[in-house]
Amino acid sequence: MACLGAPRPATTSPHWKGIALSQEWAVTAKGLVKRFGDRNVVDGVDIAVPRGAVYGVLGPNGAGKTTTLRMLLGIIEPDGGERTLLGAGHPRDVSDRVGYLPEERGLYPAMKAVEAIAFLGALRGLDWGTGRKRARAMLEEAGLGHAADQKIRKLSKGMAQLVQLLGSVVHQPELLVLDEPFSGLDPVNQEKLEGLIRAERDRGATILFSTHVMAHAERLCDRLTIIAGGKARFEGTVADARALLPLRAHYVPRSPHDGIQALLPPDAERENGGWRFTMPDEGIETTLVKLIDAGYGISGLSIERPGLHDAFVKIVGREALETAA
Amino acid sequence: MSRFRHMIRQTLTVARRDFIATVFTPTFLIFLLAPIIMMSFGMIGGLGAASVAGNSIDKERIIAVVPADEGRALLAADARLRPVFRRGDAPPRLFIEPPAADPAAQARALFDRKDIEASAVLRGPLASPTILYGNREESRADYLARLAEESLRDARVPTTLSVATKQPVHRVVATASGHGQAAFFTVFGIFFLTLLLAGQAVGTMAEERSNKVIEVLAAAVPLESVFLGKLIGMFGVAILFVGFWATIVTNVGALLPAGMARGLADIGPAVGMPAFPLLFFAYFTMSYMLQGAVFLSVGAQASTPREIQLLSLPITIFQVAMFGWAQAAAANPDSWIARGAEIFPFSSPLAMGARAANKPELWPHLLAIGWQLLWVAITIWIGAWLFRRGVLQSGGPKLFRGRSGKVPEAAANIPH
Repeated sequence: MACLGAPRPATTSPHWKGIALSQEWAVTAKGLVKRFGDRNVVDGVDIAVPRGAVYGVLGPNGAGKTTTLRMLLGIIEPDGGERTLLGAGHPRDVSDRVGYLPEERGLYPAMKAVEAIAFLGALRGLDWGTGRKRARAMLEEAGLGHAADQKIRKLSKGMAQLVQLLGSVVHQPELLVLDEPFSGLDPVNQEKLEGLIRAERDRGATILFSTHVMAHAERLCDRLTIIAGGKARFEGTVADARALLPLRAHYVPRSPHDGIQALLPPDAERENGGWRFTMPDEGIETTLVKLIDAGYGISGLSIERPGLHDAFVKIVGREALETAA
Repeated sequence: MSRFRHMIRQTLTVARRDFIATVFTPTFLIFLLAPIIMMSFGMIGGLGAASVAGNSIDKERIIAVVPADEGRALLAADARLRPVFRRGDAPPRLFIEPPAADPAAQARALFDRKDIEASAVLRGPLASPTILYGNREESRADYLARLAEESLRDARVPTTLSVATKQPVHRVVATASGHGQAAFFTVFGIFFLTLLLAGQAVGTMAEERSNKVIEVLAAAVPLESVFLGKLIGMFGVAILFVGFWATIVTNVGALLPAGMARGLADIGPAVGMPAFPLLFFAYFTMSYMLQGAVFLSVGAQASTPREIQLLSLPITIFQVAMFGWAQAAAANPDSWIARGAEIFPFSSPLAMGARAANKPELWPHLLAIGWQLLWVAITIWIGAWLFRRGVLQSGGPKLFRGRSGKVPEAAANIPH
């Protein structure tokens, strides 16, 4: 992540290597700064989202994710730094090519679902007739066909959220920005939303979404950035993030454990009837030979790759997480 | 699509939503028919007042304590003079009472009776009568004195001395006072409609803020378009309201007596027809837009319904102040007060409406409408800027710094 100037605990190689044109980036930002009062809520964030990618902005609560997205979309102006959206210097110039689902969902309660979707499309340049037609088809596809002519105030929170999401893609945007899209949805609707994000990517759209739920990011993101305390701490793929942590082994001896700790790496801890420890740099073979020779045997052995959650905790730091909490 | 057309389209999308959301609700019917409720209350109050006043009028009378023959002469004179008065201005009915032993005491006692309300009482010979009258009833006493004199004149010269032929004349050109009245009605009409309708703009952003829709709007549409769209949407509602009532009033006007219609013909605007109604509509539009933009901007800053309620008073005071200033301008069309009211953007539509009634030149109106349009744009721009900074907590762009559509060099070069 050569473009990020701020000190950070982990970086990977620049993912834009080999891409020459700024037009091939759906979103770029350099040194974005936003101050509320005397506090830097966003403090020099850089982002580069390749076209056609699903890109996650991860971070604990209060990390500055929403503020970053709002600056990228031109809802608020940055106090410092620069950004481009679909190659345009000002986000407003390409607003018809962008879809947005804000963190705080908002629809007019007196509008019918189909009208609400068409209205959101009309704001982005889609004519009302096409908007209504597409809205009905999308609602049918999402299993909400029965709610098409119901007013928003009659819908459940999850259904209304889905309606708003459909409204953000009805005009078939090139870039879809979703701020905490999974919050407030039950597992079934979360699954639907994941399907919709994949469908949008397959259509060729770029998806930029923020979340603090690692599971979604792990399943969906081609690339991600992790923000904490207003600063970008990591940028790369999910695999890059996970590679920041060493492999761990879980070993279960066959015979009693007395005196076994002396033969294990120093960080070994008892867990689930066995021992968990970081894989030594030279490999596990030497340790296993010692254990077998000492008569402990091997009842179970598994090599574990750390998840994005572990990487996130390591990158963000427990302190930042506790501060956010 | 050019940026301007793009903005217009987005503005109209917001306007359409607001218009439909307001008009296609049961509440709108209450709003539309509110004048009927208002008139009903007025009628009920008026009937009550008329009933009270009627009772009082029935009892009120002027009395002559005179012998029967003098009484007949007085009644004859009264029958001749009374048609001169318009309805409502006529003195109370005349009653004759025969004199008792002490006419002075009798006359005084009439004021103390409960079954009647004597406003003036005449006694004594008609050549030198004594007339008693109550508080502020001197005109009644004068009328009795006039009746006494007429009775004596009739006794001496029993024939009619002069028979007049009356011919009504209809003015083709409105008088100066007709212009003045037209100016007054113009200012009052624009003020009244704006007062009734523009104040609604104050709470229109509250819906977006409470529903969190503002975030979606702000991401898709420039705030200036949101503000202008909401203003146009509400103006559409106002036009519907005005159109509905104008149609009714026009049809009721056709039923007015011919005499009243002729009376109204004297009230003529200096610019003539059809320029005057067009200018009236243009200035009502400008007045609505200007004051509506101020109310919308101020109301957009309010975060609770209570704050919006608190803002209603200063808003009404502001409107009344503009009305007062424009009225002064209408009364003194050549004064510096009038020039000031015509130039100050928020009183300009009212004052220029008055000018259309007072002065025939049309070109100042083109200038004024352009000037007012400019201020509509400025007010919306400032309102959107304040909203962006205060509510969305956005930093730049600065108020007087334009934005460039150029790709920032540093950001564009990130990948290279």
